[in-house]
Amino acid sequence: MNLIAQATSSFWSAPNGSSQLWMMITIGLLAGVGLFVGLIAVPATMRRYIVGAVTFLAGLYWVLFFIWPIPIDRKPGELPNGPVEGVGFWLKDANGTVSSFGTILSAFMIGMGVYSLLRVHLTKITRKRPDWGYSVVLLASIVIMAFFGYGDWMQTIGPKGSDLQFQKNWTFMQYGRDLLFEGLLQQMDAAMFSVIAFYILSAAYRAFRIRSIESTILLAAALIVVVSKMGAVTFMVDVPIAKAAETTPFLANFQIGEISKWISDTVQTSSIQGVKFGVGLGALAMGLRMWLSLEKTGGRS
Amino acid sequence: MLNLFTAPQLIADLTFGEQYLDRGWFRIVVTVCLVFFVLWNIRRAKSGQQLYIRRIAGLNAIDEAIGRATEMGRPVLMVPGLSDNVDAIAVQALNICAHATRIAAKFANPILLCCYSPAVYTVAQEMIRDVYQQEGVIDRYDQDSVRFVSDRQFAFAAGVSGMILREQTAATFFLGQFYAESLIFAESANSIGAIQVASSTEVTQTPFFIAACDYVLIGDEFYAASAYLSREPVLVGSLTGQDWGKLLLIGCVVFGSFVSSAEMFSMVTNEKSKGIVQHVLVPDPSKPAEPPKEPGGKPKPAMMEGTRKATLGDAFFQQLLKPQKPEIKVVREMDPNFDPKKEEGGGE
Repeated sequence: MNLIAQATSSFWSAPNGSSQLWMMITIGLLAGVGLFVGLIAVPATMRRYIVGAVTFLAGLYWVLFFIWPIPIDRKPGELPNGPVEGVGFWLKDANGTVSSFGTILSAFMIGMGVYSLLRVHLTKITRKRPDWGYSVVLLASIVIMAFFGYGDWMQTIGPKGSDLQFQKNWTFMQYGRDLLFEGLLQQMDAAMFSVIAFYILSAAYRAFRIRSIESTILLAAALIVVVSKMGAVTFMVDVPIAKAAETTPFLANFQIGEISKWISDTVQTSSIQGVKFGVGLGALAMGLRMWLSLEKTGGRS
Repeated sequence: MLNLFTAPQLIADLTFGEQYLDRGWFRIVVTVCLVFFVLWNIRRAKSGQQLYIRRIAGLNAIDEAIGRATEMGRPVLMVPGLSDNVDAIAVQALNICAHATRIAAKFANPILLCCYSPAVYTVAQEMIRDVYQQEGVIDRYDQDSVRFVSDRQFAFAAGVSGMILREQTAATFFLGQFYAESLIFAESANSIGAIQVASSTEVTQTPFFIAACDYVLIGDEFYAASAYLSREPVLVGSLTGQDWGKLLLIGCVVFGSFVSSAEMFSMVTNEKSKGIVQHVLVPDPSKPAEPPKEPGGKPKPAMMEGTRKATLGDAFFQQLLKPQKPEIKVVREMDPNFDPKKEEGGGE
C-alpha cells in the first residue's frame, strides 16, 4: 500500500522521446504480443478463463474509478496524503492511458473492416455481378480519399502546417482533400440527412391515422403540439383566451401554448424518464453480467 | 457521512474524494443496491426458482418474420445499431441477431448483417459463424453475409437502405443504438413491405420506429430479449433483479414527490451555496438603506437574518440527488523529484 501511496504520475506517462517512454512502449508491446500468443497456444476451455480474467481486471478499474474517492484540489508534483489518496492518484493518472486502450483496439479493428469491404466488392467485380461498376467506384473512392487525406495530414503536422490554414498557401493535397471531403462527402451526408424530412411526413401519415383509442390520443396530442408552434393559430386562439383569463385566471390554462407545454413537460418528459430508468437498469445488469463473465449466451443455444 | 449542516471548516479538514462530500454517497448506495438485486436474483434463478417474464410481442414476432422471409424466399436483414465499440448495447443487439440467425439457419434462409463499426463486425462474424456451426449447417454460412458497410452515419444509412431495396429483404431487424438514420432504414424497409422488428436505446428514436415499424421493443424490453428468448437462469434472474431495481426507483419517485411537496409548504432559515450553509438574508425595514454607489443606481437595503418559503431546491430529495461540490483546499507535500519544466506526454 505504501508503494501505491508514493506513486506519481510517471507510472503512466513519461517525457516525450525519453528512454523511459521507449521502455514502456516495448514492455506494453511485448505484453500484448505475449497475451495474443498465449491465447492462441492455450486450450479453448482455458481461453475463456483468460478472457474472463482480463475482462474482470479491465472492468475493475472502472468500478474502482467510480467508487474510490477522487483526489481533490490536486496540483502537479504533489504527493498523496496516505494510501487512500495514493490509490485515488493512481486511478486518476491511469485514466488517460486506460481510456486509450479502447481506441487502440478500435484502430486494429479498422483493418478488419477494410478487409471485409475489399473482399465483398472485389468478389463482385471479378465475378461481374450486377451493379459491379458501383463497387469499382467505391474501391477507387477509398484509395483516392486515403491518398489525399493522408497527404494533407502529413503536410498539416509538418513544419509548414500552420500556414495551411490560409487557402493561399494550399497545395494540391489540400485542394484535393477539400474537394473530396467538403465538396462531395459532406454534401452527400447532408443530402441523406435531408431525406429524413420526407420520411417523417410519410411515417407520420401512417402513425397518426385514427385506428384505435391510443392512436386517436396520439393524433390529438401531436396536433396540439404542432399547432402550438404556428404563430398565426396561437394568435387567433390564445389572445381571446388570455383576455378572458384576466377576469377568470383559471382559463389561462386552456391556451394552446400552455396545453402544449403541459403535454411536453408532464406527459412526455415523465414517460421518457421512465424509459430511461429501464434502459439504464438494463445496461447496468448487462454490464454486470459481462464484467463477471456471466453473459455467455452469444452464439450458444 | 456528512450532512447538510456540516460546518465548512470540518469539510476542509477531510481529505477524501469529492464524490463523498455532501450527499454524493447516495448514488453509490443505490448502485450497490441495484447490483445486489441482480446478483441475488441470478442466484435465486440458478437455484431452480421459476421467475415470471411477461409476454413481449416484438420478440414473439421474430419467428414469424423469419418464417415469412423463408416462404417468400428473400433474405433477412439485421443491423446491430451504430455503436462505435463492442459495448453492452452492441452485445445485446448481437445476441438477438444470433437468435434470429439460428432460426434462419434452420430454415436455410439467407441473412445479411450490416455493421457500422469494424469492432462490432469482428465480433458479429465470429458469433454468426458459431451459430451455423452449432446448428450443424456450417456449409450454409456465407462469409459475406456479415458485412462492414461504413463508419460514417449517413454513408452507412445510404448503404443499408440500398441493400434493403436491392435485395428486397422480407424481414428486417434494427436493434441497438440508432440516431437520425433510424427512419431512413425503417421507411426504406416499409416501402418494400418488409416485416420489421426494431428497438433503440435512444429514446429520441423510439417514436420513429413506433411510427414506421411493425414491432418495437421499448426501453428495457431490448435488454430483456435474451432472457425472454433463451430462458437461461442467469438472464432471467438478472431481469427479475432489474424489476426489483425498478420497484426501488418507483418507490423513491413516489416517496420523494410526497416529501418534496410537503417540504415546499415550510419556511427555511438556512440555504446552501457552493456547499456552504448560509443564513437566509431578508431586507431589514428597521434600518436605513445604503445609498447607491453610482449616480442613478438603486439603494442597497440593509439585510437581516430571516426566513423564506422553501423551494424545490431546498427539498431533501433534491439535495440528495444533486449534491454540491464545495471548493476545498488540501495541503500536500511536494514530490522532491518533481520537475515542472519536464514535458510529459508520452504515456498520456
